[in-house]
Amino acid sequence: MPNWLNDVLSEIRYRFRAVFRKRAVENDLDDELRFHIEQEAKKLEATGLPSHEANRQARIAFGGVERIKDDTRDVNGVSWLEILVQDLRYAARGLRARPAFTASVILTLGLGIGANVAMFGIVDRLLIRAPAHLRDPSRVHRIYLTSVSDGRDVTDAFTEYARYLDFARFTKTLDATAVLASNQFAVGVGEDAKEMPIGIVSASFWSFFDAKPALGRYFTASEDSIPTGSPVAVLSYAFWQARYGGSPDILGKSLQIGPALCTIIGVAAGGFAGIPDDGVPAAFIPATLYGYGVSSARGSIDYYNTYHWGWLSVLVRRKPDVSLEATNADLTNAYRLSWEAERAISSNTTPVEVARPRAVAGPVVFERGPNATPVARLALWIAGVATIVLLIACANVANLLLARALFRRREIALRLALGASRRRLFAQLLTESLLLGTLGGVAGVAAAQWGGAILRSLFLTDVATAGVVRDVRTLVFAGAAALVAGLLTGVVPSLQAGRAALAPALKTGAREGTYQRSRTRTLLLVLQSAMSVLLLVGAGLFVRSLHNVRSMRLGYDVDPVLYVELNLRGLRLPIDQRAELARRLVDAARSIPEVQSAARGISVPFWSTESLGFIVPGVDSLRRIGRFTVQMASADYFTAVGTRILKGRAFTDADRADGPLVAVVSQGMADAVWPGKNAIGQCIKIDRPADPCRMVVGVAENIHQNSLTENQKLQYYLPSDQMRPNEANVFIRTRGDASAHAETVRRALQKVMPGASYVSVMPMREIIDPRQRSWQIGATMFLVFGALALLLAAIGLYSVIAYGVAQRTQEIGVRIALGAGATDVMRLVLGQGLRFAVVGIVIGGAAAWSASRWVGPLLFSVSPKDPVIYGTVALALLAAALLASAIPAVRAARVDPNVALRSE
Amino acid sequence: MSDEKLDLPQGTLDLLILKAVSLGPMHGWAISERIRDVSRATLQIPQGSLYPALHRLERRGWITAEWGASDNNRRAKYYQLTRSGRSQLQAEADAWRSLTAAVSLVLDMG
Repeated sequence: MPNWLNDVLSEIRYRFRAVFRKRAVENDLDDELRFHIEQEAKKLEATGLPSHEANRQARIAFGGVERIKDDTRDVNGVSWLEILVQDLRYAARGLRARPAFTASVILTLGLGIGANVAMFGIVDRLLIRAPAHLRDPSRVHRIYLTSVSDGRDVTDAFTEYARYLDFARFTKTLDATAVLASNQFAVGVGEDAKEMPIGIVSASFWSFFDAKPALGRYFTASEDSIPTGSPVAVLSYAFWQARYGGSPDILGKSLQIGPALCTIIGVAAGGFAGIPDDGVPAAFIPATLYGYGVSSARGSIDYYNTYHWGWLSVLVRRKPDVSLEATNADLTNAYRLSWEAERAISSNTTPVEVARPRAVAGPVVFERGPNATPVARLALWIAGVATIVLLIACANVANLLLARALFRRREIALRLALGASRRRLFAQLLTESLLLGTLGGVAGVAAAQWGGAILRSLFLTDVATAGVVRDVRTLVFAGAAALVAGLLTGVVPSLQAGRAALAPALKTGAREGTYQRSRTRTLLLVLQSAMSVLLLVGAGLFVRSLHNVRSMRLGYDVDPVLYVELNLRGLRLPIDQRAELARRLVDAARSIPEVQSAARGISVPFWSTESLGFIVPGVDSLRRIGRFTVQMASADYFTAVGTRILKGRAFTDADRADGPLVAVVSQGMADAVWPGKNAIGQCIKIDRPADPCRMVVGVAENIHQNSLTENQKLQYYLPSDQMRPNEANVFIRTRGDASAHAETVRRALQKVMPGASYVSVMPMREIIDPRQRSWQIGATMFLVFGALALLLAAIGLYSVIAYGVAQRTQEIGVRIALGAGATDVMRLVLGQGLRFAVVGIVIGGAAAWSASRWVGPLLFSVSPKDPVIYGTVALALLAAALLASAIPAVRAARVDPNVALRSE
Repeated sequence: MSDEKLDLPQGTLDLLILKAVSLGPMHGWAISERIRDVSRATLQIPQGSLYPALHRLERRGWITAEWGASDNNRRAKYYQLTRSGRSQLQAEADAWRSLTAAVSLVLDMG
């Protein structure tokens, strides 16, 4: 240990004893001195003196015991610790004496700190922290794949099982690779069946984590082997607790997960969630089991050697001595080899030179990667907003403390006159505000714990693992925020108090001469209103965005539409029976009174897309145009979902399997494939040039298939009966809001389903809503925080103006005595409040204007400089300022000049 | 009380205490006795400054204190040199020697 550190430690130990063990220290000193005198006496006795005489002489020789004790005590001095304790006691007494002041400060700071603590917890989980239990997080990545499509780069984290095998096979720089995917499945049977997120992972996945199973074991490579996998499941700890009460004898029992009856072989470690992209999984099943289940339902078990079904992310761990650059080069090389392999079995794959496939090892957490939703970026913005709210709260508290310091001028001057050093005084006032900050921090943690649950459910998918009080990182942050808040609110008022001139403060009464405009307080007020303007402009922009995104035409209707999915649960139906089942469901739906129309279709916007290799005679650059998606639709489909037919006709019941082959194309596809020509009557072929022509009979409007911001232009439709009739699901259009009828429809349709199979009925609104989540979050959060900011600013303005009026009572009395009317006085006071507001509007408006460049990408078809929003915000702030100064203005106008002047 | 008793120059008390304690754990009375005996009663530590000095040195971390039993089985506070105290003693002793050497040189001139 270095000497200086030793010194410091010894000092601290000594001081602690001196302050907190005062009694013990005193007793020790007594004992020590008494021992000395006794020893001395004993020595004298040895020379022959009688004992009482020896005692007396020893005492005389020693000198004044009390004086020595005093001197020894002085060595301890008055320590900083003692001062701190003393200051804390003084501050606490002062705060207790003014409960209203104290409560309002703690509440204000608590709201500000609470907002920040809650947002920190969210940002930390979204963007900073590694998934729980992950081993060597710095070497673990998710692969992101980029290739050129439709003339531009498209990056995706999802790919095929065959591709995963290729990456494992063709790379040299990796320690391990794993499959990561998830899906919703009905877990359990009968009444108990409930849709839950299920983790779909390879056996190698478990090696990425340091988490021993709480019970049993994880599955092995032999249980996750091509092609069928084994029907085994590992439960999550939370699901084990909730469903089985943590019973240890569940191992070996069966659990129906989707189509598979799985044997439970283990329970994952507590708190283990894998890498939860879509909620914490209730259980984990082998990737091959899932691949086998899905592809066998489609009729051909080829998930591991073909490239047309992308559903998984590839997780990799770099070798320890390999750089990220080297890994990326290795991955890109492997991706090119894999691309060639795909081209070898599927000739219409784009050539490598055109697609330029590239792969990078990116962040494990999806929201931190290139495909992150705007939610993560938005969380950062909201965290910034929370910081502004805290600053406003601090400004308010600083203002209150300044006002209080003015009232305490005489007290402070008196203490200075009595010899208190200014430094000492400063330290003491600062202690008070730090104490307030700490109390605010405690209130903030409480607010974040209880109120923050709402925020977390907005932003996070794995809410179960979130929480404030038990999270050390968040608590440390809360402590830091409280300290900063204490310093921010305390430094300026304490400095000002310490600087007070002695003589005038002591001389004058409490009233006379004390009214003076404090430049600091003015500045704080202006800053507050400017920041409120900034937040309110943000709120306006997001509310407009949300409105725009909600009212946008997607190319289909949302509110009246239900999507019905057939879950056969392992029931193996021949192709024609499966097709017939879908037809029967449509018929059953049509007989429900609330249903307007029903039709068959396969893919659902934002959930799944289908594509087929196809050929247009005379057009050989089809692949260069981009990726085409297809929907297999029955008669009435376009009416049911509300997609408009622009030209030609929709499908009818006549478009049967044995009828003439037909197709409907989107407007965008018609323009891209047959520019300048009439699309109606053109021919497209599926798969091979030898296949028969399918004649285009109609052109439909473009739809938003995967993105709210971009149209999927290249979409076409084939009659359900002419292509994959056995994969059909059902779309239903109801009268009025579909979600109200979902349960009625589900009950009616369930009667048609054979055996353990079932239907899940999903309102289209629930599919679209998550896509609009970022705007909803933005609008909600900016509105809440903006309103909070405006409220705080208004309170601040009110307290300052009311204080000013109270101080100027005499002056106002004189004005009234000299003939000023009530309106003049009110104008005087209101004008003061409005001036603050106007300056705040100008500054805040300018700040918002200059920030517009960054907020623009988060908005939806609204200009970040929208004048209507700026105008509305300005009016809101003016109204708040008027309101805040109206009460003091009325009070000022009621001043009785007689009373005001006589009191002099 | 002999007449040859000398007033201690400023700062030497700490040096003497450190030196005395460096020989082994010792209580306050023993320290003053030891210094008096070794200096042949020339140096007598004023009791009034011994205890404040001991506490000061303890606070600086140069000596530590521990309660123990004395020869006649009484509770006594024993002081002991720490590692940083040992280097402090070394430094102060060196400074003292060079100071006295220098002073003698000056006194012996001419």
